[in-house]
Amino acid sequence: MASEFRYSDKNPDHPVAYAGFYAMHTRIETVVTDIDEERARELADGIEAEVKSLERLFNRFDDTSPLAVVNARGAREAVAVDDELFMALELCEAFRRGTGGYFDIATSTSAAAAGRASCMLDPAAHTVRLACDDVRLDLGGFAKGYALERARRLAVDAGVENGVLNFGNSSVAALGRHPYGEWWAIGVEHTKIQSVAAHEFRLRDSALSVSGRSLRGEYHIVNPMTGAAVAGDELIAVEGRSALVAEVLSTALYAAPRAKREAVMAQYEGYAALELWCRDGGGCEIYRIGRR
Amino acid sequence: MNRKEFLADCGKMSLAGMALSLFPWLQSCSDEAKREVRGEKARIGVIGTGSRGIFHIKHLLQMPSVEVVALCDDYRPHLEDAAQYYPEAKLYDDYRRLLEDRDVQGVIIATPLYLHAPMTLDAMEAGKHVFCEKAMAYTQEDCLRVYERRKELGGVLLIGQQRLFDPKYIKAMSMIHEGRIGDVVGVRNYWYRNNNWRRDVPSPELERRINWRLYGEYSRGLMTELACHQLQNGSWSLGMLPEQVMGSGHLIHWTKEDERDVYDTVSAIFTYPNGVNMTFESIISNKHFGMGEQILGSKGTIDLVSGLYYSDEPMPAGSGMHRLVAQIENGIMSNSVFAGTSWAAETSPLAPGLPITPNVTVNSGESTVGAEADGSKEIIEAFAHAVITGKQPAKVLEESYYASQFALLADRAMHENAILTLDERYKIPYEPIRS
Repeated sequence: MASEFRYSDKNPDHPVAYAGFYAMHTRIETVVTDIDEERARELADGIEAEVKSLERLFNRFDDTSPLAVVNARGAREAVAVDDELFMALELCEAFRRGTGGYFDIATSTSAAAAGRASCMLDPAAHTVRLACDDVRLDLGGFAKGYALERARRLAVDAGVENGVLNFGNSSVAALGRHPYGEWWAIGVEHTKIQSVAAHEFRLRDSALSVSGRSLRGEYHIVNPMTGAAVAGDELIAVEGRSALVAEVLSTALYAAPRAKREAVMAQYEGYAALELWCRDGGGCEIYRIGRR
Repeated sequence: MNRKEFLADCGKMSLAGMALSLFPWLQSCSDEAKREVRGEKARIGVIGTGSRGIFHIKHLLQMPSVEVVALCDDYRPHLEDAAQYYPEAKLYDDYRRLLEDRDVQGVIIATPLYLHAPMTLDAMEAGKHVFCEKAMAYTQEDCLRVYERRKELGGVLLIGQQRLFDPKYIKAMSMIHEGRIGDVVGVRNYWYRNNNWRRDVPSPELERRINWRLYGEYSRGLMTELACHQLQNGSWSLGMLPEQVMGSGHLIHWTKEDERDVYDTVSAIFTYPNGVNMTFESIISNKHFGMGEQILGSKGTIDLVSGLYYSDEPMPAGSGMHRLVAQIENGIMSNSVFAGTSWAAETSPLAPGLPITPNVTVNSGESTVGAEADGSKEIIEAFAHAVITGKQPAKVLEESYYASQFALLADRAMHENAILTLDERYKIPYEPIRS
């Protein structure tokens, strides 16, 4: 996958750098302003290396990845893992409990249906054991938000004050503000009305995550309780401080029945969630879930 | 660049040297070539004035450098139709009499397949330059016979592989040879129609004469009538010839209303020395997918029929982040609409392809006569030019020869249920068209 980098000082007041590359099955792009070209290029390279490293770490289909090793041996024995994977699994378990079970990294429903964790974590030994023989862990729903959060921090560490990081359009993190505004105005488009904003978010040092049917119209998010694909035509958009939490929440809210969504949101202060229902050809109804 | 501009631009391209060195049969487009024939006329006779013959006549009418002096068909209604376009032309019902006409410099042969070789050979022996519809001949042996005889006699011979003259194909192949889609890893061709492929017959005794395509005695069916057009896509893009051919053909649907015996469904796989496969599939009882010709590369795909290029690493449609950059460059702020459900490279078919040339005309492949803007007019123009100059356009005959050979070989593979290679005796010198 070839990286794309472009630096423009066409506007001398606000030079801008664009970088894009492919990872995690999607296109990852950054736009940062008001930094010099060398730092922008270093940041772009750093983000690409970081994201691709995380992609390898969390890829269950790569037999050599630590996660694949857990899946291969974890049902029979406790498998020692490194700090980063252990921390990620701890976070996932916290999110599972914090979303009433609607965010779950297990590919099998047997543990979830019983209200149990899909894996047991031993903090002292740093080991992981799978709950049942048929359980496998899939960090796909976690990795993008986690990587976006890491990329955001790299940008902050590099001294970027204003910029936008876009992971495949469904996960966006904003630093600071647009050079000509008080925020970054990011419109959410619904699959039924593309290129027109169903709703505009004003991001300033915050993140946005959107979940729903895929662009092809497929229902690809699974209800962890039933194992069935969630057949909802609405989009769930979540805004808040952390890109990771926003990602987890949008997935969990979409998977959860409507009646349970408010209870999930009540656990997370500082996050706002919307349901966007749009009709073919135009017109949307938007409902807020819970209170900010 | 539209078709007219493209043709007008041929001279400019010769300055760059690129297109003409890659596609030397386009020499007739050059300014120098046009000066060479200015004021002169090619005196043409048309043999076979059925639907395809009339299609060519309508193009000939638009060409100031052409004078149609003779028309021939042994089916009177067709001959009378053609005479309406050229009332001054002499009319013949026997092509041999037309060949005796010393006023005729070149002939356009648009007759059933089984007549291609004998008519072409007779015309060349009579000293005429020849344009003959594809396929080149009804048998592999006859293809070779025609090719060798032309070499001995030295006249002009063009076979109706008009894609070689279609501007969007030429542009696409240039891009492929430049490496724009990476390594060519596959070639897909298909041609689907849903019609019985029959023409109306005024009386039963004319059935086989008019519906010759349906009978193996006169035609080799879908492989010579349709596949032949598409098979050159493999050698043209890959710069090599297939090593082996396998296929399957059956008569599955149009079995009740006539006595036809050619297949109505065929699939063939042509494998090249580097392991790349080219496929051809045709079904004439389902038209949903129409006609398609696609060159698949390791970095992208070119759809030759639609003239569209698809990257395997496409930008999300109308990337909002690029628009955001443009906003900042121009000192403005507005809403950037791009957030939504995950964009994945796998959804790339949803991303619109990029036109390889403006104003591309797309041919659905439904017409059983011919399509506008598919190179048919250009190839006849090139023939008219060659009739005046007496110069055989380079390479094009060899491409046509092998398209016919492999169409016939695949037909054999289907009938014999075997994996076949081209016999050494049918191999002629072949110079790939590569930059």
